[in-house]
Amino acid sequence: MRVEYINPFVESAYNVLKEVLSVEIVRGELYLKSTSMPVLGVAAIIGLAGDVEGRVLFDMSKATAIKIASAMLQSMEMEPIEELNDMGKATITELANMITGQAVTKLHNLGFKFDLTPPAIFTGDNMEIADTGVEALIVPMDLPFGKIEINVAIRERN
Amino acid sequence: MKTKQDFPSINQRKADGVGSDGNAYRVLIVDDSLFVTKQIGQILTSEGFEVVGTASNGQEGVDSYKELYPNVDLVTMDITMPKMDGVTALEKIMEFDKNARVIMISALGKQDLVKKSLMLGARNYIVKPLDRKKVLERIMMSLSK
Repeated sequence: MRVEYINPFVESAYNVLKEVLSVEIVRGELYLKSTSMPVLGVAAIIGLAGDVEGRVLFDMSKATAIKIASAMLQSMEMEPIEELNDMGKATITELANMITGQAVTKLHNLGFKFDLTPPAIFTGDNMEIADTGVEALIVPMDLPFGKIEINVAIRERN
Repeated sequence: MKTKQDFPSINQRKADGVGSDGNAYRVLIVDDSLFVTKQIGQILTSEGFEVVGTASNGQEGVDSYKELYPNVDLVTMDITMPKMDGVTALEKIMEFDKNARVIMISALGKQDLVKKSLMLGARNYIVKPLDRKKVLERIMMSLSK
């Protein structure tokens, strides 16, 4: 995977998380994950299609998802959540959407043309994801609420 | 009985969501995210706007606009949505009512998308993340155009 693809995701994730949650964020070291990998419990996914194809997965534990969603809701003077209900899931998918949207905009300005799909969210224990033939780069972000792993897999279309 | 005249006018600021005729601006929110619909709704109702409808995809948005018309003053339109995207929905709404006031709200800020939306007749384009100030400023700008 070309490294130019990854930096916009790192920058956008950092900027959006900081703006939306108003907390300190520490970026971890990037690493590659094998094609079949366990996910942490809550995974929001957005597809990419155009000159390139792939997907971005925002992976976190359920406890972290609840804390992040609650913080976002409270910043709008709305009730925090105790369980990952529909509003909680909508909040996490929107966070994924904002980060991916900003990254795609940056990539577009660099000349890479592609669009994103409406997000989806998966929750469950012991989940695993497998995409054959696509390398995934992981951008870990440490927040006071726990860790988010942003898992980016992009390949050029032939 | 107290009337409006009993209150000192110095503290009276007209809420942004109320027009010069004293009626609230009526808004249709088109967005596939429950979170964003609630967020925009919250910002607008707190300023006196009235949310008269919500729709979760472009097609529903166009249908709702036609149903509500002429009792709708403003539409907020997401772009990435299932069934019909927001730019197509904007185009269809403008075909139906060339004076429609539609504001695009998206996580995508790609220049060609912004340009295309404005060319098609959108009054403004707000890039997420949203905050109260940004949303109200842009909406007030679009209403006064």
